[in-house]
Amino acid sequence: MNPFVFHVPTKIAFAEGAGSSTCEIVKELAGNKALIITDKPLLEGGYLTSVLEGFEDMPHVIFSDVPSDSDVDCVNTIAELARTEECDCIVAIGGGSVMDTAKVVNICLTLGGEILEYQGLNNIAEQLLPLVAVPTTAGTGSEVSMVAMVKDHTEGKKLLFGSRYLAPSVAILDPLLTVSLPPKLTAATGLDALTHAIESYVAVISNSVFTDSLCTDSARMVFENLRTATKNGADIEARSQMLVASTMAGVAFTNSGVGVVHALAHSMGAKFGTHHGIANSIFLPHGILFNMDIAAERYARLARMVGVSKSTKDLTATKDLLDAIEQLCIDCGLPRRLRDAGVPELNNSDIEELVVLAVSDPAIMFNPKDCSEKDIQELYERAY
Amino acid sequence: MQFFANSDELHHVMNELWMRIGRDPDMLEKLLASKLIVQFQYREPEGRVTIDCSDGIEMRVSTGEQLLKPIVEMSMKADVAHEFWLGKVNVPFAIVSGKIVSRGPVQKALTLLPVIKPAFDIYPNVISQFKTVTA
Ligand SMILES: NC(=O)c1ccc[n+]([C@@H]2O[C@H](COP(=O)([O-])OP(=O)(O)OC[C@H]3O[C@@H](n4cnc5c(N)ncnc54)[C@H](O)[C@@H]3O)[C@@H](O)[C@H]2O)c1
Ligand SMILES: [Fe+2]
Repeated sequence: MNPFVFHVPTKIAFAEGAGSSTCEIVKELAGNKALIITDKPLLEGGYLTSVLEGFEDMPHVIFSDVPSDSDVDCVNTIAELARTEECDCIVAIGGGSVMDTAKVVNICLTLGGEILEYQGLNNIAEQLLPLVAVPTTAGTGSEVSMVAMVKDHTEGKKLLFGSRYLAPSVAILDPLLTVSLPPKLTAATGLDALTHAIESYVAVISNSVFTDSLCTDSARMVFENLRTATKNGADIEARSQMLVASTMAGVAFTNSGVGVVHALAHSMGAKFGTHHGIANSIFLPHGILFNMDIAAERYARLARMVGVSKSTKDLTATKDLLDAIEQLCIDCGLPRRLRDAGVPELNNSDIEELVVLAVSDPAIMFNPKDCSEKDIQELYERAY
Repeated sequence: MQFFANSDELHHVMNELWMRIGRDPDMLEKLLASKLIVQFQYREPEGRVTIDCSDGIEMRVSTGEQLLKPIVEMSMKADVAHEFWLGKVNVPFAIVSGKIVSRGPVQKALTLLPVIKPAFDIYPNVISQFKTVTA
């Protein structure tokens, strides 16, 4: 058996209505004053009432101005607020943008200094303040992952922070908090989770049975529940399955990495602001086709385990997986080409810039097949 | 037992390796194009090797403490570096398992991994020469 390391530093609590116990959990972590980080649509839409009610008898301050493409300035503003208010624990309630922002705020708040000093991998070597993550989307897995990305607008790219200390202390999974997520975002974030499961399963170091079983089960749960969660957002069982699947896929990818699909999606996010899940859903089939000659055996095994193929032939089973992904995306109303996702026509200089971003994305290192600049360029062209 | 007996040995080998990398036009061109300053920080034994490509014209290799502030720092045991140059380290695994620590815009340094792969063929040669020298 190959060597592996498997970490789950985060305690995971799931229940319908679990959000209302967030404050109790924060108190258990010995927090005295909580910094609650969220975004405007969630706060003003009144979706967080059940969570916030619990904080009535605990000192707290709320920051709700996290933008969708959160950046270093936002992180610094929040950290300053937290210092002034003397907060000693953080609660992130929202999607990946909010959770990633909260993780980077935690670095600033705990360690002080310039945030740019902490970018890198394994570069944070001490315990940070308690961070409780309450996801309101079912996709990113940021509630359990050991990485966070925020934009540096001055340089026009995303900064990467990776350390086991970045994993939240507790992830509270409450499907009721995802009910208000509109169909398009439900579908897009669900495809982010599916991409995590599939890319992790074939990643170059995906050699642990721990990650394998998380990948296959979470992918199956997405195939079985995303259509219902998208079409009938009030279906709590489908929402629950999606939320748990996305956290499982998060545990998997944070241990074994993602791949070329994520590298392409990150570059589209950095250059055009394309939603991470939408970009993944478009690139996923192209990434599978690209890797197919060396990873068909893995894709085929996954296809059989999630129940989308009965074929004993690897290439046929991989093709079945591709068809199943395509059908799922169509059924969930997701755009199938970049041009249909609002990406303007790509000229040579756009492609050049995107290629540089993608080949230097750490995700690409975990892809099972080496990608040249030409390969990446062709993938953009095919996906457009 | 650690591969390098002391910091001098480590510095000597790494310096020679990077000098030879600098004599390979393909590798040199791509390294210079990165305009990076990468510092390798080793432990067991202690060592510092700094590769400065910042002016895009000349690659400067220096060992030991430096005033120059690197753009990217990579820290690891010297044995991990030795295994790396022998082509035996699975870098993604080493990162996930915490054996390699990087500081700074690591993305930039990771793009150079495929660039320096030809040096895997040079390294055994450097080692054998180094061993004869010290024998
Ligand atoms: N750290 C990680 O492990 C990781 C992994 C994948 C993605 N990401 C990051 O996550 C970000 C994307 O996160 P996301 O897909 O969750 O989207 P998001 O956090 O950007 O949210 C998208 C929109 O959905 C709204 N929203 C969220 N929950 C809602 C709800 N329950 N009801 C109504 N509206 C709701 C938000 O207000 C926002 O306007 C990207 O920045 C990506 O880089 C991080
Ligand atoms: Fe993702």
